[in-house]
Amino acid sequence: MLSSKKFLLILFLALTLPLAAQDTDAADTTIYDLLLKNGHVIDLQNNRNGRLDIAIIGEKIHAIGENLPASRAKKVVDLSEYYVTPGLIDIHAHFDQKGAWLNLNPDHNTLRYGVTTAVDAGSSGAKGFEKFKEETIDKARVRLLAFLNIVGAGMYGKGVENDVAQMDVDAAVAMVKKHPNDIVGIKTAHYQPTDWEAVDRAVKAAEMSNSVLMVDFHPKEGRGYEDLILKHMKPGNIHTHFYGRLTPQLDENKKVQDYMWKARERGILFDVGHGSGSFWFRIAVPAIKQGFLPDTISTDIHKNSIMLPRAHLNNVMSKFLNIGLSFEQVIERVTVNPAKAIRRADLGRLDEGGIADIAVLKIEEGEFAFLDSGHGKLTADKNIRCMMTIRKGGIIWDAEGISMPDWSTAGPYSNFR
Amino acid sequence: MSVQLAAFLLSLVIASPVLGQQYDYILKGGHVIDAANKVDGVMDVAVSGDKIARVADGIPADQAKRNIDVSGYYVTPGLIDLHAHVFGYPGALWPDDTQLTTGTTTVVDCGGSGWRTFDEFKETVIDRTRTRVFSFINIVGKGMVGSEAENDTSDMEPEKTAAKMAEYPNLIVGIKTAHYARKGYTALERAVEAGRLSDKPVIIDMRILTGYDRTMERIFEIMRPGDLRTHSYSDHQVEILNRVTRKVQPFTREARKRGLLFDVGHGNGSFVFPVAADAMKDDFPPDTISTDLHRGSIFTTKADMPNVISKFMHFGMTLSNAIEKSTVRPAKVINKFPELGTLGEGRVADIAVFKIRKGVFGFADAPQRRLMANKKLEAILTIRAGKLVFDQNGLAFPEWETAGDYRRIPTP
Repeated sequence: MLSSKKFLLILFLALTLPLAAQDTDAADTTIYDLLLKNGHVIDLQNNRNGRLDIAIIGEKIHAIGENLPASRAKKVVDLSEYYVTPGLIDIHAHFDQKGAWLNLNPDHNTLRYGVTTAVDAGSSGAKGFEKFKEETIDKARVRLLAFLNIVGAGMYGKGVENDVAQMDVDAAVAMVKKHPNDIVGIKTAHYQPTDWEAVDRAVKAAEMSNSVLMVDFHPKEGRGYEDLILKHMKPGNIHTHFYGRLTPQLDENKKVQDYMWKARERGILFDVGHGSGSFWFRIAVPAIKQGFLPDTISTDIHKNSIMLPRAHLNNVMSKFLNIGLSFEQVIERVTVNPAKAIRRADLGRLDEGGIADIAVLKIEEGEFAFLDSGHGKLTADKNIRCMMTIRKGGIIWDAEGISMPDWSTAGPYSNFR
Repeated sequence: MSVQLAAFLLSLVIASPVLGQQYDYILKGGHVIDAANKVDGVMDVAVSGDKIARVADGIPADQAKRNIDVSGYYVTPGLIDLHAHVFGYPGALWPDDTQLTTGTTTVVDCGGSGWRTFDEFKETVIDRTRTRVFSFINIVGKGMVGSEAENDTSDMEPEKTAAKMAEYPNLIVGIKTAHYARKGYTALERAVEAGRLSDKPVIIDMRILTGYDRTMERIFEIMRPGDLRTHSYSDHQVEILNRVTRKVQPFTREARKRGLLFDVGHGNGSFVFPVAADAMKDDFPPDTISTDLHRGSIFTTKADMPNVISKFMHFGMTLSNAIEKSTVRPAKVINKFPELGTLGEGRVADIAVFKIRKGVFGFADAPQRRLMANKKLEAILTIRAGKLVFDQNGLAFPEWETAGDYRRIPTP
């Protein structure tokens, strides 16, 4: 039962609200900088999957809802033909562009594909990270994070990457702790000797710094993959390149090995890391048909993989869509899951009050083909294309100019600056 | 290994002379546009090693180890982008992922390095890219590194610039002067002097119209036949149009008659639809199509070579004509014809394959206005010195399902 006080209050509000709405002092005077209208929003973390509007003010999402008024917006973009998702996250990339030769420039290899957060996967180590931060991370328009290589010198070839003396756990831990906003964890990669030194030191550094570990692993006689994922790695650690040719994920009958399921049960995460060598249709398709999907979809993008397999994130996502994942499953693996994997609860979601990092995607229908790391071809009928990317509230990529006015009605527009 | 893959691999390795397979591969059934050889129709292109071996109708498929079906596509010489930024300039891009993937096999860095920095440019970029990279060397010794350096006339030394050019006559194809924001003609005069000493063209980008006591007429007088003006379709620098009549300026036509060349240099701020539309309407197309592609424009205007060509096609240029202005013409401008810019037999196999997509497409110009058009040129496959470097549709490779337990399938 309502108390009489509450009843009176409600009565009072009911009588005065219509008046208040006309009172300019009390009215909602919100003006949106940008209103994204009618897109199909897929924001799985917030259980959104349907037509919604998104209003942006400054760098932030102001409101998400149905029928937000266009009259309040300085600019309205109709997205009724497209999907709208949180800015995508690529947790395996190589962007220390002033470092080793293979690294790429981050911005145009991410933001054009809807990626607003990329994680450099161990291009630099404790010795080179601060140079990487100063010269690239701090200047990039994409949000660039990093796994720190357990090798002090970073990814500079066999000489240093096989050198245990380079793997200074304390130095790595200190660097992670010094840059908690930039470094999400530790990476070990390319280690060829047949002992466990690289993995174990990287595990230790991740534990000591309370950060995430990403492992690239080349199995050797006496240093097997099963032991890696069941014994040496810890829950929450990520094995990347798990559809790779060097990883014994399938048995001779193409059945997913029992230890893969066991490792997944104990919390090991499996990341794609496509690259030049680590994604094969002949491995991924049977694994997926048996239900062994990746936890996270990522590129391992570098100067070689961007050419022939053309493995940017939209390309890799399209492969999984055409193999049979639903679009929601694909989006989950480039938003929600990677955000959790790198322990960034603020990313991979669309929140009122949160930073407006948004991807606008289209599923194109037609005839397309995709090459894997072995140059095997998948001819397919769907392609995921990024139509627009919003980073910190600004439209940074607009593939077809859908947010722009038409030129022919704009007059001669001399001296536009 | 599956029977199909075995057959496929076998077809790659069988000794060619025995079966008469004298070619490494044939691009079969594409519409070849090779202006230099007056080819504009369906032809096969056979490649051996890094060279074009034969261009003809109906080359038998069994004469090659491998056939790549490009029917329905256009086959052209690899495009030449006369105005790119791959070194020095803060907006410089790596050319392989940005240019080879758009059918462009040769780029000329437009003033990123000067004579002081050219060696570093060569070592860190030219020697390491799969893209063929040349240089318009900046008349500023330090190169395109900001306004302080670029306005310092004491670092504009024609003799030292020409000496560096003499050291690398095959790599440095001309001189650039740009961004000069002081009064008078010093930068241009020094660049032209270096051009005279080296007998190579000068390409200019100068903020002319207001404030620096310069006139277009005088600039065109200082320039020599064969010199280029880039950013031709901008409206905030030198204007090729009269703003009131929207017709081409008489002195612009006079300059063209004298042999001065007009390059596009699209970029972030140097191509506006009304200027291009009016100029094309008044019969003033560019001599050479180029991009000025850099870290800004790759986002804003997306002006890579196919994008710029698509825009000119919308304003009435034919594809064949646009390809000529992106291959033969730029090759001639930098004195690399007939080595480059043609599919002539015996020439280096730099080849691009394109598709014209039909539909509704949006293109952006410098002030971020949209042009809606029904055709779009799209890069499909690129070959650089005989080697396949980009293959959007996997035309050169087998379906994975037929390939068994394949290892890396060889790249043509």
